[in-house]
Amino acid sequence: MIDTLLYGVTIGAILYIFSIGLSITFGTMQIVNFAHGMVYSLGVYLFITFLPWVAGIFPLAMALAVAAMLPIAYLVERFIIRRLYGESLDYAIIATYAVLLIGADVIKYIWGTEPQPVSDPIGIPLVIFGVVIQLYRVVVFLSAIVLFIGLKIFFTRNVIGKVVIAALEDRDGVRALGLDVNKYFSIAFIIGSGLAVLGGVLYSPITTSEPYMGFHILLLAFAVVIVGGMGNLTGTFFSAFALGMVIAITGRLYSSAADTMVFVVMALVLLKDPIFNFFRKLVGKPAIS
Amino acid sequence: MSEMISTSGLTKKFKELVAVNQVNFRVAEGQVAGVIGPNGSGKTTLFNLLSGYFPPSEGQVTFQGEDVTGQPPEARVAMGMARTFQLVSVFDHLTVWENLVLSNVRFRHNGSWLTNFFFKNARKKAILEYCQESLDTVALSDQAGTVTSELSYGDKRMLEIAIALSLKPKLLLLDEPLAGLSDHEIGEVIELLQKVKSDFTLVIIEHKISKIMDLVESLSVMNEGAIICEGEPDEVLSNTDVRECYWGREDC
Repeated sequence: MIDTLLYGVTIGAILYIFSIGLSITFGTMQIVNFAHGMVYSLGVYLFITFLPWVAGIFPLAMALAVAAMLPIAYLVERFIIRRLYGESLDYAIIATYAVLLIGADVIKYIWGTEPQPVSDPIGIPLVIFGVVIQLYRVVVFLSAIVLFIGLKIFFTRNVIGKVVIAALEDRDGVRALGLDVNKYFSIAFIIGSGLAVLGGVLYSPITTSEPYMGFHILLLAFAVVIVGGMGNLTGTFFSAFALGMVIAITGRLYSSAADTMVFVVMALVLLKDPIFNFFRKLVGKPAIS
Repeated sequence: MSEMISTSGLTKKFKELVAVNQVNFRVAEGQVAGVIGPNGSGKTTLFNLLSGYFPPSEGQVTFQGEDVTGQPPEARVAMGMARTFQLVSVFDHLTVWENLVLSNVRFRHNGSWLTNFFFKNARKKAILEYCQESLDTVALSDQAGTVTSELSYGDKRMLEIAIALSLKPKLLLLDEPLAGLSDHEIGEVIELLQKVKSDFTLVIIEHKISKIMDLVESLSVMNEGAIICEGEPDEVLSNTDVRECYWGREDC
C-alpha cells in the first residue's frame, strides 16, 4: 500500500506542476487552453533531443528545454490566446485544440511515432517502511513542494505575482488602476508554460513519451483545475495530490478505472450542491453546513 | 472653461437593447457633475463607455480634447481618468496598505530604465508617502494593516475612493459612491468629496439625489438610454419630464 501512496504522490506532483499554467489561464482569461498540452509534449521531445548533446546532464537538458519553449509559449500567448480573450469559449477550445494537434503532428514529423524512453537520472533505490522506491520519485515530490512554496512567495511578495492574483479576483479593478492586465497575464502564462515543460521532463523517466502524451495529461489537469478551483493555486496543489492519490489507489484496485475515477470525483465536485441538497431533503436538516 | 470630457452621438447597443442612445454629454474642467436616472436608464453603461470598459456601437468620447474612443481603460487611467464601480472594487485578499501600494504599481515603472535605475529608491519613497497621504485623506491610516475583507462596506468604499485619488486623476468618475452606505457613512463620503473636489473634475452617478445636491454644479438626467434633461440642479429637478420619469406622474 505504501508504494501505491508514493506513486499517487509522484503523479500528484507532476499533475500540480503541469496544472499551474492551466489554472492561471483558466482563472484570469477564462480560456480553456488545450495548447498547454502542446507546450508540455514538445518541451519533453526537445529535452530528449538535448540530453545527449549535454552529455546526459539531466538538469542542463531540462533547463535548455524550458528555455527553448518559452519563446514558443510567448508566440502562442501573443498571437492565439490573447486574441481569444472575450470571445466565445468554443473559439478558444477550437483554436487551442488545433495548436495541440499541430504540435502532435510536428512531433510525429520530426521524431516519429515511436515512444521515447528516458532513463532514471538518479537510479538510486530507497527503502521506506520496507518498500523499495526510487530516490528520483522523492525528488519529483520535493520539487513540487519547493515550487508550491516558491510560487506562494512569488504571488504574495512579487509585484507581478500580486497583480496577477488581484486580476484573478477582479480583472476590471486592476484595469482601473491603469495596469495592462494582458502584460501581466503574458508573464504568468509564460511561467505556467515553463512549468508545464518542467512537469513533462520530470515525468519522462517515469513514463514513456509519445506524440499524444499532452492529450492525456491535459484531461487529467482539467479535472485538477476544476476540483481545485479555477485560478486557485493552493486549491490546485491539494487537488492535484488528491487526484494523484485517486489514480494510484484506483489503479491498484482496478487499473482500467484509474483515470475514470478522476472524472467521477470531478463530477461529484461539480454536482456537490445538488447532492448536498438531496441529502438535506432526505434527512430533513442540513447534511453539511 | 475648457472641456474635460465630452461625447458625441455615443450609442451602445446590446443586440436589440439600446442601452445608451445618441448621448452628447459634456463636463467642463473643474466642474462637479451629477448623472441621475431610474434603474436601467443607462448611467453605468455611460460610465463604462467613458472609461473604456465598453467599446461604443457608435459615437465618440473625447478626453481633454483627444479622441479616446478606441483607448482601453488602462490607457485612459494613464491619461488621468480614474473611476470607481457600483459594486465596490477593492482587493479583498490584500491589506488596506497593499491595496494602495498595488494601485501605484504603474508609477513605479514610469520613465526610462536609466531613471528607474538611479531614482528607484527615491521614487519608491515618494510613492509610499503618497499612499500614506491618500490613506490619511480618507481617515483609514489606523486600518492600514487590516485585511480588506475584514473592513465594513463603508470603509471599503472609502478605500476604493482613496485608491482612485492615489491615481492622481484629472477626472474622477464615481459610480453610485453612496450605494449601500449608512447615513453616517454617506455623510463621511460627502464630506470627503467636498474636501477634495477642487483637485479634479468630478462626475457622480447617484440615486440619492438629495445627498449630492450640495455637491454638484450640474445635473444630467438619463432615461431609457438618453439624456432627457441637463443644466443647473434646481432647474433640472423642477423640469416636468424629469419629475415624471423619476418620481412618477402622481408626484408632479
